[in-house]
Amino acid sequence: MRTLYVEGRSVLHRMPPRAKLLGLAVASIVLFATRSIPLLGMFCVASAAVYLLLRLAPREAFERLRPVLLTIVVVGLFTLLFDSAIEAAVFVLRLTSLMLLAAAVTATTGISAFMDEITRLAMPLERIGLVRAADIGLAVGLVIRFVPEVLARTQAIRDAHHARGLKPRMLTLAVPMIILTLRSADEIAAAIDARGLRGQN
Amino acid sequence: MDGIRLDIRFERAEARYAGRTVLQPLDLALSERRIGVIGLNGSGKTTFARMINGLVTPAAGRVTVNGFDTATETESARRQTGFIFQNPQNQIILPILREDIALGLQARKLAKPDVRAAVDAVLSRFGIGHLADRRSHELSGGELQLAALASVMVTEPAILIMDEPTNQLDLKNRRLVVETMQGLNETVIAISHDLELIADFDRLLLFHEGRLAADGAPAEVIRHYRDIASA
Amino acid sequence: MLTRDLVLAALFTAIIVVLGLLPPITLGFIPVPITAQSLGVMTAGVVLGAKRGTIAVLLVLLLAAIGLPVLSGGRGGLGVFAAPTTGYLIGWVAAAFVTGLASEKLVRAQQSGLIQGIGFFVASLLGGVVVLYAFGVTYLALVTGLGFSKAFLGSVAFIPGDVLKAVVAALVGRAVMVGYPLLPQRA
Repeated sequence: MRTLYVEGRSVLHRMPPRAKLLGLAVASIVLFATRSIPLLGMFCVASAAVYLLLRLAPREAFERLRPVLLTIVVVGLFTLLFDSAIEAAVFVLRLTSLMLLAAAVTATTGISAFMDEITRLAMPLERIGLVRAADIGLAVGLVIRFVPEVLARTQAIRDAHHARGLKPRMLTLAVPMIILTLRSADEIAAAIDARGLRGQN
Repeated sequence: MDGIRLDIRFERAEARYAGRTVLQPLDLALSERRIGVIGLNGSGKTTFARMINGLVTPAAGRVTVNGFDTATETESARRQTGFIFQNPQNQIILPILREDIALGLQARKLAKPDVRAAVDAVLSRFGIGHLADRRSHELSGGELQLAALASVMVTEPAILIMDEPTNQLDLKNRRLVVETMQGLNETVIAISHDLELIADFDRLLLFHEGRLAADGAPAEVIRHYRDIASA
Repeated sequence: MLTRDLVLAALFTAIIVVLGLLPPITLGFIPVPITAQSLGVMTAGVVLGAKRGTIAVLLVLLLAAIGLPVLSGGRGGLGVFAAPTTGYLIGWVAAAFVTGLASEKLVRAQQSGLIQGIGFFVASLLGGVVVLYAFGVTYLALVTGLGFSKAFLGSVAFIPGDVLKAVVAALVGRAVMVGYPLLPQRA
């Protein structure tokens, strides 16, 4: 699977993930603490600057934001109609700023960096017995590993439909796909346990 | 692992599943280098193999591997064995082959360069060193089964148990796995419908309806198997 | 947690991701297309039960958060969580939990296929509509300052589609249970 991380050496790239996530959290608090449109406007411009400084290709840069931007615009218009222009402006500026900063963090933080950080953050949860930190990394690895297999299986089922002159429908596609995929769970789990991968060896 | 005598013992070990007895109480001692396990589907052979590495624990009696009880000292017992399953796709569980093999070494807390060296070494041992950085889903059936071998052998177990290792493979890939297996110094216990694979093993065990029906030299046991199969 | 449960959840996450790659389904009488992925999320609770279903959905969100384009339409990254509809994403987790819990409580092995299907439908409705919208609408209300009733008004067009999804989730859940029963058993 293609990731949204983009190689680079910018300041953001070199910042540890924890700092960036903290920065986002602080930004959210600040953004929702003020209703001043000039202030929010400046914040938005600053966020855009941060994002643009990443120097992503213009099309790529826009494509990444488009889906979220669309919902912000639609809801913004709704707010304009059913509330006031000020509310709409405050809303749009707040979320757009957040979106830009969040997208910048995503583009400058690799998957392994994120996973290392998450495993570290999960340690206290492990101590209270809620989750095993290493299980999170294992689970993520399992998903990424098996998505291509599940996809291939889905396409095989779809082909089988066509071969029999049937049009693939959600039900006739989803059900066999789910059953076949879940059936392998037992052997995969046995293989994991046999190798003692969940901290037993 | 040279010089360490393999020692697997079943002491009136019995296995049950959903209220049924799938393996009748069994007394057995294994120390041969190449052991084959055959039988019809549902004969108990798979349960037997899974009792050796503790995936199945005895409902009565006990199983020990090199002195470790599989029920009470499961981790130590499991460390003695590597288990290869039928479907190669279900054994390599991380997206990049190298990561998956390295996962087996996690508990040893080695330094990164040492992990890398161990992974490269074990992959080369099975002739797939060049696949280290490949995506797991891009590997062929044969490559995956060899990768599975590497993944369990990286922790250097004394005993390798293989459950129908060539079942899902085409002829070419089968050859690859068989040749690799023949070159192993470790003890191999193989369940196989593929009689050619185990015809020259040191000892064969035939299971039938949850019981050990025959035990000894391949030729004899296979003859017995053919009798049962055609009955 | 049992290794088997971890694997089941992770595999279902893979299923949800793959469903995100399928094109949305448009039905004439419903104004908004139904994504196969949101159906998958609803089905997680019905097929896996509360604990595993919730983990499966949490994993999808985690993957999106760390920068993988796993949400339908190839969406991913932290930016996705800056949208006004983020409440629905968070709601997915609660929805899977409630649907799973309700499925575990309502559906029994001895029931007829029809009763089981109805049980799954009620579970999917409770989780995938009631709880999901509670989260989605509340978040929308808070983030826009619109207030609950106006936010609800803006979301109401999507409800018929989600009710239909609940029907499909129930059918899928029932069919999967016939082929590979995980429920009714403890999660």
